Amino acid sequence: MGRAMQKQPDPVGRGETSEHTRTAIADPLEGLSHAYMRWHRFRSNPSALIGGAIVTSVIILAIFAPWIAPFPEHAGDFIDFRNRHAAPSWAHWMGTDNVGRDVMSRVIFAFRISLTLVVVILGIAVPFGVTLGLIAGYFGGIVEIVIMRITDIALALPPLILALAVSAVLAPTLTNAMIALTLLWWNWHTRLIYSITRQLREEPFVEAARLMGASRRHILFRELLPNCVSAITVKTTLDAGFVILIGASLSFLGIGAEPPTPDLGTMVSSGGGYLPESWWESIMPGVAILYAILGFNLLGDGLRDLFDVEIS
Amino acid sequence: MEPLLAIDDLTVGFRQYGRENDVLHGVSLRVDPGQRVAIVGETGSGKSVTLKTVMGTLPRPPGYIRSGQIRFDGRDVHSMSARERRRLAGGAYSMVFQDPATALNPVYRIGDQLIDILRAHERRSGNRRSRSETKERAFEILREVQLTEVERVFRSYPFQLSGGMRQRVLIGMALLNRPKLLFADEPGTALDVSTQDEILHLLNDLVDHEGLTFVMITHNLGVVRMTADYVYVMRNGRIVEDGPVTQIFEAPSHEYTRNLLRVVPRLTKRPGAPLAQEPRQSSDNLVDFQKYTKIFAASRSPLRSNRKADVRGADNVNLVVRRGDVMGLAGESGSGKTTLARSVLGLYAPTSGQVMYDGRSVEDQYRSLAFKRRVQMVYQNPGTSLNPRRTVGQILQLPLRIHSLPKEQLPDRVGKMLEQVELPRGYVNKYPHELSGGQKQRVAIARSLALQPDLLILDEPTSALDVSVQERIIALLERLKQEYALTYLFISHDLALMRNFTNRVAIMSRGRIVEQGETDDVFDAPKHDYTRALLSCVPVISAEEEAAKPAIDRAKRQQILLQME
Repeated sequence: MGRAMQKQPDPVGRGETSEHTRTAIADPLEGLSHAYMRWHRFRSNPSALIGGAIVTSVIILAIFAPWIAPFPEHAGDFIDFRNRHAAPSWAHWMGTDNVGRDVMSRVIFAFRISLTLVVVILGIAVPFGVTLGLIAGYFGGIVEIVIMRITDIALALPPLILALAVSAVLAPTLTNAMIALTLLWWNWHTRLIYSITRQLREEPFVEAARLMGASRRHILFRELLPNCVSAITVKTTLDAGFVILIGASLSFLGIGAEPPTPDLGTMVSSGGGYLPESWWESIMPGVAILYAILGFNLLGDGLRDLFDVEIS
Repeated sequence: MEPLLAIDDLTVGFRQYGRENDVLHGVSLRVDPGQRVAIVGETGSGKSVTLKTVMGTLPRPPGYIRSGQIRFDGRDVHSMSARERRRLAGGAYSMVFQDPATALNPVYRIGDQLIDILRAHERRSGNRRSRSETKERAFEILREVQLTEVERVFRSYPFQLSGGMRQRVLIGMALLNRPKLLFADEPGTALDVSTQDEILHLLNDLVDHEGLTFVMITHNLGVVRMTADYVYVMRNGRIVEDGPVTQIFEAPSHEYTRNLLRVVPRLTKRPGAPLAQEPRQSSDNLVDFQKYTKIFAASRSPLRSNRKADVRGADNVNLVVRRGDVMGLAGESGSGKTTLARSVLGLYAPTSGQVMYDGRSVEDQYRSLAFKRRVQMVYQNPGTSLNPRRTVGQILQLPLRIHSLPKEQLPDRVGKMLEQVELPRGYVNKYPHELSGGQKQRVAIARSLALQPDLLILDEPTSALDVSVQERIIALLERLKQEYALTYLFISHDLALMRNFTNRVAIMSRGRIVEQGETDDVFDAPKHDYTRALLSCVPVISAEEEAAKPAIDRAKRQQILLQME
């Protein structure tokens, strides 16, 4: 697969060349639907396949946590001192924590927070960043200078420090953490879309639309945006992993979900006090973070390969 | 005589989506030492796959070789080890790539690239040369491909050389290790005709003097006639006909070959070319260039202006396109054809002078929707002029929606537009990449006609297409012109096509119009030396056309072409 296949010429003159004898030549892809071809490529791409499976499992666990988790009540205010610091066993696959709550149940519930972070932060930052990138890339001139220099400034701020600062000024809550991260995330998308748009705006199809009298809005969102979708998808997928990581880092530092709400970063942090004896209390949530991020990264890389084929 | 290269019953294919598709079906051919062989075919004929299989550069997977044998100099290529094969490439045979702009690495000097190749070959063959010997060999090869100023070329980066010089360097590279067999992929077709002519002469000289054997794949029959002794015609993965070059051109036996020869535009007048014969009564000037000059400044800052480096895209051009004309703009790359065409659309503001459209200056009206309705453009490459992420239906609806056609009429109008360009209505849901080049160009034409314009600017609309597709696109354009009373401004570097499609023509060079007039007059009795030189370079496919070319010897021609620069 990959680029090599692209270079091969149209195998059996599917098009005009053979127009006068078209009946004689079979289309090698005849009867294959788009969906099938896409699925075939997805299937023969191991990283997309594994990444997709991991991401799907995380989403399912988060949505159906109350039904999947073995002890759903352990996600809340639950105390059972007789079972505290219990090592992994058949009853508690990932052991229990310092107040006797089932670590696995809490990990499953914690995915909810992680995914909320992903959806809220990226849901706001990506559309905002993409729109700015399209505008800067297409219009150029003073608009480009203003937008891109602001972007550069925003890129120079270290995200973790800014998030800490915002929480220090306001309050160390989940909402404030999300605000801080959103403020920092849009600029990466602006840069990416800006560079793609700058190349695309010279393409004849954009000029053709302009010569037809198409509005700027049409050119930005109907001509240019669809050509950025694959890049946005890949970047957003990879970002999802980073959001989970940075969200966990913030809650590890004490900015995030209020206890007793299960949160992966908080669990690593509070479990850390019982290392190395009760290793499962911090290692298990850590592995869960690794699992989710690995899934998003594999999926992002896989999607990049898939889109590469499709675009050219 | 033992053939140098013999391919026997070769069947090759690709695996796609779990299916195996053979793209070569039992191809057999032989190349004798010292022979010049051409493999001719259109897109998808399998000529490139054949070449790749022989050279061992077929990507596997997804490619596979089902059966067949390739013998080089009596040895079976497939039974060789990978190492042996690599040694064969670059030593026993080598390859000249099509596009000199991309085949050289832009960040290394020419000299370093040549020396690298020599060193790599020495490592493989084991006999080391001294530093000065290697350098001497590099100079020698540059002289061999008839480059002057070899010292300068040796020290240059690719971008500092002209297209023709780069092509010579590429040929030189291929010859560095004295191969027996030289492959060429579409030699010269990425170049201007005058440069192409020089390159083809060079290749012929090399075969004559160096005892080379030469195999090329090409779609250009004019090139074949100039540089081949023996021709294989391929189609859909099969060789449909083979024979000595005169036999193929004068007495082709296969229907496909005959058809191919028929659709190639001739430099002589085609009997029955409808447009060229039609008398023009109209004196209504639709487009009028009045002393139009457009200078592209080399530096944007007025403080650092560098007049010498400024490019004159158009230099004091006076040109009239009358209503109903098919006006041809011909010239080599960089001659200013496209600058003129884009000025009509208001894309370039004149440095001095002006362009009038229908009595009013383009500058005053190009922003208005009414103007956009009247002037439209068809681009050279439909692959980039159609948005790859939008369906045919969405593409065709755009102009209609901008010009506020009621929504309920859209599907029907789009269907009609497709029928107009002879495409099935069902194509509305297809994406451009699902269409062939010719079909894409049809969609682009339909889009440009959506608003019923007066003037269509055709910027090399067929140069990216196969010649048989070109013929049908030109026929379509001729039909549409009659039906909708269109005026065409047609840009092309293909003079033979120009001859048969336009009724008036302007020959451009360096931003100036060197000659203009009725097409027949310009082609039958060219007045300007440059026109004569250009016409004499065109590769043609019959003795009749050869005789009709202006008689001008190579040295004189070279002098004229250089003068124009």
